[in-house]
Amino acid sequence: MSRGHEQYEESVGAYLLGALPELETEAFEKHLSSCPTCRRELDDLRVAADALPRAVEPVAPPPELKKKLMATVWAEAEERQAAPKPRRRPFLERLPRLTPAWTAVAAACALAIGIGIGVGVANIGGGSAKTVAALVDHKQAPMGSASLHVPSGGAKGALLSVQGLPDPGAGKVYEVWVQRDGTMQPAGALFSVGSGGSGTAGIPQSLEGAQAVAVTAERDGGTLRPTQMPVLTVKLS
Amino acid sequence: MPLNQAKDLTRLADEELMRIAQGGDPRAFEVLYDRHGGAAFSLAYRMVGTRAVAEDIVQEAFLSIWRSKVRYERERASVRTWVLGIVHHRTIDALRRNLVHDRRRASAEGIEERQEAPELTDVEAVRREEAREVRAALQTLPGEQSRVIELAYYGGFTHTQIAEMLDMPVGTVKGRMRLGLEKMRREMQGATA
Repeated sequence: MSRGHEQYEESVGAYLLGALPELETEAFEKHLSSCPTCRRELDDLRVAADALPRAVEPVAPPPELKKKLMATVWAEAEERQAAPKPRRRPFLERLPRLTPAWTAVAAACALAIGIGIGVGVANIGGGSAKTVAALVDHKQAPMGSASLHVPSGGAKGALLSVQGLPDPGAGKVYEVWVQRDGTMQPAGALFSVGSGGSGTAGIPQSLEGAQAVAVTAERDGGTLRPTQMPVLTVKLS
Repeated sequence: MPLNQAKDLTRLADEELMRIAQGGDPRAFEVLYDRHGGAAFSLAYRMVGTRAVAEDIVQEAFLSIWRSKVRYERERASVRTWVLGIVHHRTIDALRRNLVHDRRRASAEGIEERQEAPELTDVEAVRREEAREVRAALQTLPGEQSRVIELAYYGGFTHTQIAEMLDMPVGTVKGRMRLGLEKMRREMQGATA
Protein backbone atom coordinates (compact mmCIF):
# COMPACT_ATOMS: atom_id res chain seq x y z
CA MET A 1 0.00 0.00 0.00
CA SER A 2 1.44 3.37 -0.95
CA ARG A 3 1.39 6.73 0.77
CA GLY A 4 -1.93 8.49 0.34
CA HIS A 5 -3.72 5.27 -0.48
CA GLU A 6 -6.73 6.14 1.70
CA GLN A 7 -7.37 9.17 -0.48
CA TYR A 8 -7.71 7.03 -3.59
CA GLU A 9 -9.05 3.67 -2.49
CA GLU A 10 -12.68 4.63 -3.16
CA SER A 11 -11.83 5.84 -6.68
CA VAL A 12 -11.17 2.45 -8.27
CA GLY A 13 -14.80 1.88 -9.28
CA ALA A 14 -15.31 5.39 -10.58
CA TYR A 15 -12.08 5.14 -12.59
CA LEU A 16 -13.15 1.88 -14.23
CA LEU A 17 -16.55 3.33 -15.10
CA GLY A 18 -14.97 6.41 -16.68
CA ALA A 19 -16.61 8.60 -14.02
CA LEU A 20 -13.57 10.46 -12.74
CA PRO A 21 -13.11 13.98 -14.09
CA GLU A 22 -9.89 14.47 -16.04
CA LEU A 23 -7.78 15.89 -13.27
CA GLU A 24 -8.80 13.16 -10.85
CA THR A 25 -8.09 10.56 -13.51
CA GLU A 26 -4.60 11.95 -13.88
CA ALA A 27 -4.01 11.94 -10.13
CA PHE A 28 -5.42 8.43 -9.75
CA GLU A 29 -3.25 7.05 -12.54
CA LYS A 30 -0.18 8.55 -10.92
CA HIS A 31 -1.19 6.92 -7.65
CA LEU A 32 -1.79 3.59 -9.43
CA SER A 33 1.74 3.48 -10.72
CA SER A 34 2.99 3.29 -7.14
CA CYS A 35 0.20 1.38 -5.37
CA PRO A 36 0.05 -2.38 -5.78
CA THR A 37 -3.09 -2.55 -3.60
CA CYS A 38 -5.07 -0.34 -5.96
CA ARG A 39 -3.67 -2.12 -9.03
CA ARG A 40 -4.80 -5.45 -7.60
CA GLU A 41 -8.29 -4.14 -6.89
CA LEU A 42 -8.42 -2.56 -10.32
CA ASP A 43 -7.62 -5.89 -11.94
CA ASP A 44 -10.29 -7.61 -9.83
CA LEU A 45 -13.06 -5.13 -10.58
CA ARG A 46 -12.13 -4.74 -14.23
CA VAL A 47 -13.87 -8.06 -14.89
CA ALA A 48 -17.20 -6.47 -13.96
CA ALA A 49 -16.59 -3.15 -15.72
CA ASP A 50 -15.48 -4.88 -18.92
CA ALA A 51 -18.72 -6.88 -18.89
CA LEU A 52 -20.98 -3.83 -18.89
CA PRO A 53 -21.00 -3.28 -22.68
CA ARG A 54 -22.16 -6.87 -23.09
CA ALA A 55 -25.38 -6.08 -21.21
CA VAL A 56 -26.53 -3.66 -23.88
CA GLU A 57 -29.52 -4.59 -26.04
CA PRO A 58 -28.23 -5.33 -29.54
CA VAL A 59 -29.10 -2.74 -32.15
CA ALA A 60 -28.13 -3.39 -35.76
CA PRO A 61 -25.85 -0.76 -37.23
CA PRO A 62 -27.04 0.68 -40.54
CA PRO A 63 -25.39 -0.98 -43.56
CA GLU A 64 -24.31 2.48 -44.78
CA LEU A 65 -21.98 2.71 -41.80
CA LYS A 66 -19.96 -0.27 -42.98
CA LYS A 67 -20.03 0.97 -46.57
CA LYS A 68 -18.67 4.39 -45.61
CA LEU A 69 -16.09 2.92 -43.25
CA MET A 70 -14.78 0.34 -45.70
CA ALA A 71 -14.72 2.84 -48.57
CA THR A 72 -12.35 4.97 -46.51
CA VAL A 73 -10.29 1.97 -45.42
CA TRP A 74 -9.91 0.64 -48.98
CA ALA A 75 -9.02 4.08 -50.30
CA GLU A 76 -6.34 4.52 -47.65
CA ALA A 77 -4.99 0.99 -48.21
CA GLU A 78 -4.70 1.63 -51.95
CA GLU A 79 -3.05 4.94 -51.28
CA ARG A 80 -0.48 3.22 -49.10
CA GLN A 81 0.18 0.55 -51.73
CA ALA A 82 0.34 2.96 -54.65
CA ALA A 83 2.93 5.15 -53.02
CA PRO A 84 6.46 3.79 -53.40
CA LYS A 85 7.92 3.13 -49.99
CA PRO A 86 8.42 6.76 -49.22
CA ARG A 87 11.34 8.24 -47.46
CA ARG A 88 9.70 9.18 -44.22
CA ARG A 89 9.55 12.94 -44.30
CA PRO A 90 10.05 14.81 -41.07
CA PHE A 91 6.88 16.03 -39.47
CA LEU A 92 7.38 19.69 -40.27
CA GLU A 93 7.77 18.94 -43.99
CA ARG A 94 4.34 17.36 -44.06
CA LEU A 95 2.56 20.39 -42.70
CA PRO A 96 0.81 22.72 -45.16
CA ARG A 97 3.19 24.28 -47.68
CA LEU A 98 4.88 27.15 -45.96
CA THR A 99 3.82 30.59 -47.09
CA PRO A 100 5.93 33.56 -46.01
CA ALA A 101 3.59 34.00 -43.06
CA TRP A 102 4.01 30.36 -42.12
CA THR A 103 7.72 30.63 -42.48
CA ALA A 104 7.74 33.49 -40.02
CA VAL A 105 5.67 31.47 -37.59
CA ALA A 106 7.93 28.46 -37.99
CA ALA A 107 11.00 30.57 -37.43
CA ALA A 108 9.45 32.11 -34.36
CA CYS A 109 8.58 28.65 -33.09
CA ALA A 110 12.10 27.43 -33.59
CA LEU A 111 13.46 30.46 -31.83
CA ALA A 112 11.00 30.16 -28.96
CA ILE A 113 11.77 26.50 -28.58
CA GLY A 114 15.47 27.05 -28.88
CA ILE A 115 15.84 29.77 -26.32
CA GLY A 116 12.97 29.54 -23.95
CA ILE A 117 12.11 26.13 -22.75
CA GLY A 118 13.61 23.31 -20.81
CA VAL A 119 14.10 20.46 -23.23
CA GLY A 120 12.91 17.07 -22.13
CA VAL A 121 13.97 14.00 -24.03
CA ALA A 122 13.30 10.50 -22.81
CA ASN A 123 13.66 7.02 -24.12
CA ILE A 124 10.40 5.25 -23.51
CA GLY A 125 10.37 1.59 -22.78
CA GLY A 126 12.53 1.42 -19.74
CA GLY A 127 11.38 0.18 -16.40
CA SER A 128 10.55 3.28 -14.40
CA ALA A 129 7.84 5.89 -14.80
CA LYS A 130 8.91 9.08 -16.54
CA THR A 131 7.61 12.61 -16.75
CA VAL A 132 8.92 14.57 -19.69
CA ALA A 133 8.58 18.33 -20.15
CA ALA A 134 7.19 19.59 -23.45
CA LEU A 135 8.57 22.13 -25.85
CA VAL A 136 5.90 24.79 -26.15
CA ASP A 137 5.51 27.23 -29.04
CA HIS A 138 5.22 30.39 -27.00
CA LYS A 139 3.97 32.34 -30.01
CA GLN A 140 0.83 30.26 -29.90
CA ALA A 141 0.73 29.73 -26.15
CA PRO A 142 2.65 32.47 -24.32
CA MET A 143 1.75 31.06 -20.90
CA GLY A 144 1.78 27.43 -21.92
CA SER A 145 3.51 24.53 -20.30
CA ALA A 146 2.96 20.79 -20.51
CA SER A 147 4.35 17.47 -19.43
CA LEU A 148 3.90 13.87 -20.45
CA HIS A 149 3.69 11.23 -17.77
CA VAL A 150 4.61 7.72 -18.95
CA PRO A 151 3.88 4.97 -16.42
CA SER A 152 6.52 2.42 -15.58
CA GLY A 153 7.18 -0.09 -18.33
CA GLY A 154 6.09 2.38 -21.00
CA ALA A 155 3.50 -0.05 -22.32
CA LYS A 156 0.40 1.38 -20.72
CA GLY A 157 -0.07 4.57 -22.64
CA ALA A 158 0.64 7.96 -21.18
CA LEU A 159 -0.99 11.05 -19.78
CA LEU A 160 -0.42 14.51 -21.19
CA SER A 161 -1.08 17.43 -18.83
CA VAL A 162 -1.20 20.99 -20.11
CA GLN A 163 -1.50 24.36 -18.44
CA GLY A 164 -1.84 27.85 -19.85
CA LEU A 165 -2.96 26.87 -23.33
CA PRO A 166 -5.32 29.31 -25.08
CA ASP A 167 -8.78 28.19 -26.10
CA PRO A 168 -8.29 26.47 -29.48
CA GLY A 169 -11.08 28.60 -30.97
CA ALA A 170 -14.68 28.08 -32.01
CA GLY A 171 -15.32 24.67 -33.53
CA LYS A 172 -11.80 23.49 -32.69
CA VAL A 173 -10.19 21.11 -30.24
CA TYR A 174 -6.66 20.12 -29.42
CA GLU A 175 -5.60 16.86 -31.04
CA VAL A 176 -2.72 14.68 -29.85
CA TRP A 177 -0.32 13.03 -32.32
CA VAL A 178 2.30 10.32 -31.93
CA GLN A 179 5.30 10.44 -34.25
CA ARG A 180 6.72 7.10 -35.40
CA ASP A 181 9.23 6.64 -38.20
CA GLY A 182 8.84 10.30 -38.99
CA THR A 183 5.08 10.01 -39.47
CA MET A 184 2.49 11.68 -37.29
CA GLN A 185 -0.39 9.39 -36.40
CA PRO A 186 -3.54 10.38 -34.49
CA ALA A 187 -3.17 9.31 -30.87
CA GLY A 188 -6.94 8.97 -30.59
CA ALA A 189 -7.05 11.74 -28.02
CA LEU A 190 -8.81 15.08 -28.35
CA PHE A 191 -9.10 17.53 -25.52
CA SER A 192 -10.21 21.01 -24.71
CA VAL A 193 -8.91 23.25 -21.96
CA GLY A 194 -10.67 24.67 -18.95
CA SER A 195 -10.09 27.82 -17.01
CA GLY A 196 -6.40 28.59 -16.77
CA GLY A 197 -5.87 26.70 -20.00
CA SER A 198 -5.40 23.41 -18.19
CA GLY A 199 -6.42 20.05 -19.47
CA THR A 200 -5.31 16.45 -19.74
CA ALA A 201 -5.40 13.83 -22.46
CA GLY A 202 -4.90 10.11 -22.05
CA ILE A 203 -2.88 8.43 -24.80
CA PRO A 204 -4.21 4.87 -24.94
CA GLN A 205 -1.23 3.27 -26.65
CA SER A 206 2.27 2.28 -25.80
CA LEU A 207 4.81 4.94 -26.70
CA GLU A 208 7.58 2.43 -27.07
CA GLY A 209 9.52 3.31 -30.20
CA ALA A 210 7.72 6.63 -30.60
CA GLN A 211 9.83 9.65 -31.45
CA ALA A 212 7.57 12.40 -30.21
CA VAL A 213 4.13 13.38 -29.03
CA ALA A 214 2.70 16.62 -30.39
CA VAL A 215 -0.48 18.67 -30.07
CA THR A 216 -2.16 20.81 -32.70
CA ALA A 217 -5.43 22.73 -32.78
CA GLU A 218 -7.76 21.02 -35.25
CA ARG A 219 -11.38 21.11 -36.25
CA ASP A 220 -13.85 19.56 -33.85
CA GLY A 221 -13.78 15.80 -34.18
CA GLY A 222 -10.12 15.73 -35.15
CA THR A 223 -8.34 15.18 -38.44
CA LEU A 224 -6.34 12.42 -40.08
CA ARG A 225 -3.19 14.51 -40.39
CA PRO A 226 -2.03 17.63 -38.61
CA THR A 227 -2.99 20.78 -40.46
CA GLN A 228 -1.46 23.27 -38.06
CA MET A 229 1.89 23.92 -36.47
CA PRO A 230 2.19 22.04 -33.17
CA VAL A 231 1.48 24.12 -30.12
CA LEU A 232 3.67 21.77 -28.13
CA THR A 233 5.96 18.82 -28.72
CA VAL A 234 7.36 16.21 -26.35
CA LYS A 235 10.49 14.56 -27.71
CA LEU A 236 10.85 10.93 -26.74
CA SER A 237 13.98 9.87 -28.59
CA MET B 1 -4.97 -11.95 -51.78
CA PRO B 2 -6.56 -14.96 -53.51
CA LEU B 3 -10.25 -15.44 -52.86
CA ASN B 4 -9.81 -18.64 -50.87
CA GLN B 5 -7.45 -16.84 -48.50
CA ALA B 6 -9.93 -14.01 -48.11
CA LYS B 7 -12.58 -16.54 -47.14
CA ASP B 8 -10.17 -18.17 -44.70
CA LEU B 9 -9.88 -14.92 -42.80
CA THR B 10 -13.30 -15.50 -41.30
CA ARG B 11 -11.94 -18.60 -39.59
CA LEU B 12 -9.16 -16.77 -37.82
CA ALA B 13 -9.17 -15.69 -34.20
CA ASP B 14 -9.55 -12.00 -33.47
CA GLU B 15 -5.98 -11.60 -32.32
CA GLU B 16 -4.63 -13.07 -35.54
CA LEU B 17 -6.99 -10.93 -37.61
CA MET B 18 -5.83 -7.87 -35.75
CA ARG B 19 -2.23 -8.75 -36.57
CA ILE B 20 -3.10 -9.02 -40.27
CA ALA B 21 -5.20 -5.85 -40.21
CA GLN B 22 -2.25 -4.13 -38.56
CA GLY B 23 -0.28 -5.13 -41.59
CA GLY B 24 -2.66 -3.00 -43.66
CA ASP B 25 -5.09 -5.63 -44.92
CA PRO B 26 -8.60 -4.16 -45.34
CA ARG B 27 -10.17 -7.64 -45.64
CA ALA B 28 -8.97 -8.61 -42.17
CA PHE B 29 -10.18 -5.27 -40.86
CA GLU B 30 -13.58 -5.86 -42.44
CA VAL B 31 -13.93 -9.21 -40.70
CA LEU B 32 -13.11 -7.51 -37.41
CA TYR B 33 -15.79 -4.91 -38.10
CA ASP B 34 -18.30 -7.63 -38.96
CA ARG B 35 -17.58 -9.30 -35.62
CA HIS B 36 -17.53 -6.28 -33.36
CA GLY B 37 -19.20 -3.42 -35.23
CA GLY B 38 -22.64 -4.43 -34.00
CA ALA B 39 -21.61 -4.48 -30.34
CA ALA B 40 -19.78 -1.18 -30.82
CA PHE B 41 -22.81 0.46 -32.39
CA SER B 42 -25.15 -0.94 -29.75
CA LEU B 43 -22.97 0.47 -26.96
CA ALA B 44 -22.64 3.90 -28.56
CA TYR B 45 -26.36 4.00 -29.31
CA ARG B 46 -27.21 2.95 -25.74
CA MET B 47 -25.10 5.85 -24.47
CA VAL B 48 -26.12 8.65 -26.85
CA GLY B 49 -29.62 7.55 -27.88
CA THR B 50 -29.24 8.89 -31.40
CA ARG B 51 -28.37 6.76 -34.41
CA ALA B 52 -26.57 9.49 -36.34
CA VAL B 53 -24.28 10.35 -33.42
CA ALA B 54 -23.66 6.67 -32.65
CA GLU B 55 -22.69 6.11 -36.30
CA ASP B 56 -20.20 8.97 -36.19
CA ILE B 57 -18.64 7.66 -32.99
CA VAL B 58 -18.32 4.08 -34.27
CA GLN B 59 -16.90 5.19 -37.60
CA GLU B 60 -14.30 7.37 -35.89
CA ALA B 61 -13.45 4.62 -33.41
CA PHE B 62 -12.89 2.01 -36.12
CA LEU B 63 -10.94 4.42 -38.29
CA SER B 64 -8.69 5.20 -35.34
CA ILE B 65 -8.07 1.45 -34.99
CA TRP B 66 -7.33 1.11 -38.70
CA ARG B 67 -4.99 4.07 -38.77
CA SER B 68 -3.13 3.44 -35.51
CA LYS B 69 -1.84 0.02 -36.14
CA VAL B 70 0.38 -0.47 -33.13
CA ARG B 71 -2.13 -0.07 -30.40
CA TYR B 72 -3.59 -3.47 -29.70
CA GLU B 73 -1.75 -5.47 -27.06
CA ARG B 74 -3.12 -8.95 -26.78
CA GLU B 75 -1.80 -9.54 -23.27
CA ARG B 76 -3.94 -6.72 -21.87
CA ALA B 77 -7.43 -7.52 -23.17
CA SER B 78 -9.42 -9.39 -25.79
CA VAL B 79 -9.94 -7.61 -29.09
CA ARG B 80 -13.64 -7.18 -28.31
CA THR B 81 -13.00 -5.65 -24.89
CA TRP B 82 -10.37 -3.39 -26.38
CA VAL B 83 -12.63 -2.22 -29.23
CA LEU B 84 -15.55 -1.58 -26.88
CA GLY B 85 -13.23 0.29 -24.53
CA ILE B 86 -12.26 2.61 -27.37
CA VAL B 87 -15.91 3.17 -28.30
CA HIS B 88 -16.82 3.84 -24.66
CA HIS B 89 -13.96 6.29 -24.27
CA ARG B 90 -14.88 8.16 -27.46
CA THR B 91 -18.55 8.30 -26.52
CA ILE B 92 -17.75 9.71 -23.09
CA ASP B 93 -15.50 12.23 -24.80
CA ALA B 94 -18.38 13.29 -27.06
CA LEU B 95 -20.79 13.46 -24.12
CA ARG B 96 -18.40 15.51 -22.01
CA ARG B 97 -17.81 17.93 -24.86
CA ASN B 98 -21.57 18.44 -24.93
CA LEU B 99 -21.81 17.21 -28.48
CA VAL B 100 -24.53 14.81 -27.57
CA HIS B 101 -26.30 15.74 -24.36
CA ASP B 102 -28.42 18.42 -25.99
CA ARG B 103 -29.40 16.23 -28.91
CA ARG B 104 -30.06 13.37 -26.53
CA ARG B 105 -32.32 15.46 -24.34
CA ALA B 106 -34.13 16.88 -27.34
CA SER B 107 -34.62 13.52 -28.96
CA ALA B 108 -37.45 11.12 -28.32
CA GLU B 109 -36.30 8.77 -31.02
CA GLY B 110 -34.81 6.10 -28.79
CA ILE B 111 -37.74 3.75 -28.73
CA GLU B 112 -38.89 3.93 -32.31
CA GLU B 113 -35.36 3.65 -33.66
CA ARG B 114 -34.54 0.55 -31.71
CA GLN B 115 -34.06 -2.31 -34.04
CA GLU B 116 -33.15 -5.79 -33.02
CA ALA B 117 -29.99 -7.10 -34.57
CA PRO B 118 -30.65 -10.24 -36.57
CA GLU B 119 -29.72 -13.54 -34.99
CA LEU B 120 -26.49 -14.36 -36.74
CA THR B 121 -24.52 -17.30 -35.57
CA ASP B 122 -23.87 -19.62 -32.69
CA VAL B 123 -21.30 -17.10 -31.52
CA GLU B 124 -24.02 -14.46 -31.43
CA ALA B 125 -26.23 -16.80 -29.43
CA VAL B 126 -23.44 -17.29 -26.88
CA ARG B 127 -23.03 -13.53 -26.66
CA ARG B 128 -26.71 -13.06 -25.98
CA GLU B 129 -26.46 -15.59 -23.19
CA GLU B 130 -23.50 -13.63 -21.79
CA ALA B 131 -25.58 -10.47 -22.05
CA ARG B 132 -28.35 -12.07 -20.04
CA GLU B 133 -25.84 -13.08 -17.36
CA VAL B 134 -24.43 -9.58 -17.10
CA ARG B 135 -27.92 -8.07 -16.93
CA ALA B 136 -28.83 -10.61 -14.25
CA ALA B 137 -25.72 -9.63 -12.27
CA LEU B 138 -26.68 -5.96 -12.59
CA GLN B 139 -30.19 -6.74 -11.38
CA THR B 140 -28.90 -8.37 -8.23
CA LEU B 141 -27.42 -5.06 -7.12
CA PRO B 142 -29.26 -2.82 -4.71
CA GLY B 143 -30.94 -0.04 -6.71
CA GLU B 144 -28.65 2.67 -5.39
CA GLN B 145 -25.59 0.77 -6.66
CA SER B 146 -26.93 -0.15 -10.10
CA ARG B 147 -28.15 3.41 -10.59
CA VAL B 148 -24.76 5.04 -10.06
CA ILE B 149 -23.08 2.40 -12.23
CA GLU B 150 -25.56 2.90 -15.08
CA LEU B 151 -25.40 6.70 -14.88
CA ALA B 152 -21.61 6.57 -15.00
CA TYR B 153 -20.98 3.85 -17.55
CA TYR B 154 -23.92 4.27 -19.93
CA GLY B 155 -24.69 7.91 -19.18
CA GLY B 156 -21.12 9.18 -19.30
CA PHE B 157 -21.66 11.30 -16.20
CA THR B 158 -18.86 12.06 -13.76
CA HIS B 159 -19.20 11.17 -10.08
CA THR B 160 -19.67 14.83 -9.23
CA GLN B 161 -22.53 15.17 -11.72
CA ILE B 162 -24.13 12.02 -10.33
CA ALA B 163 -23.72 13.30 -6.77
CA GLU B 164 -25.55 16.49 -7.75
CA MET B 165 -28.30 14.60 -9.56
CA LEU B 166 -28.91 12.24 -6.65
CA ASP B 167 -28.20 14.83 -3.98
CA MET B 168 -25.64 12.79 -2.12
CA PRO B 169 -21.96 13.19 -1.22
CA VAL B 170 -19.38 12.36 -3.88
CA GLY B 171 -17.76 9.88 -1.51
CA THR B 172 -21.02 7.96 -1.26
CA VAL B 173 -21.33 7.80 -5.04
CA LYS B 174 -17.78 6.50 -5.41
CA GLY B 175 -18.31 3.96 -2.66
CA ARG B 176 -21.47 2.65 -4.31
CA MET B 177 -19.70 2.30 -7.62
CA ARG B 178 -16.94 0.28 -6.05
CA LEU B 179 -19.26 -1.92 -4.00
CA GLY B 180 -21.56 -2.44 -7.00
CA LEU B 181 -18.73 -3.59 -9.25
CA GLU B 182 -17.42 -5.86 -6.53
CA LYS B 183 -20.85 -7.48 -6.10
CA MET B 184 -21.27 -7.82 -9.87
CA ARG B 185 -17.90 -9.52 -10.10
CA ARG B 186 -18.85 -12.02 -7.42
CA GLU B 187 -22.20 -12.71 -9.07
CA MET B 188 -20.62 -13.25 -12.47
CA GLN B 189 -17.92 -15.52 -11.10
CA GLY B 190 -20.61 -17.48 -9.30
CA ALA B 191 -22.51 -17.83 -12.56
CA THR B 192 -19.52 -19.25 -14.37
CA ALA B 193 -18.15 -21.34 -11.50
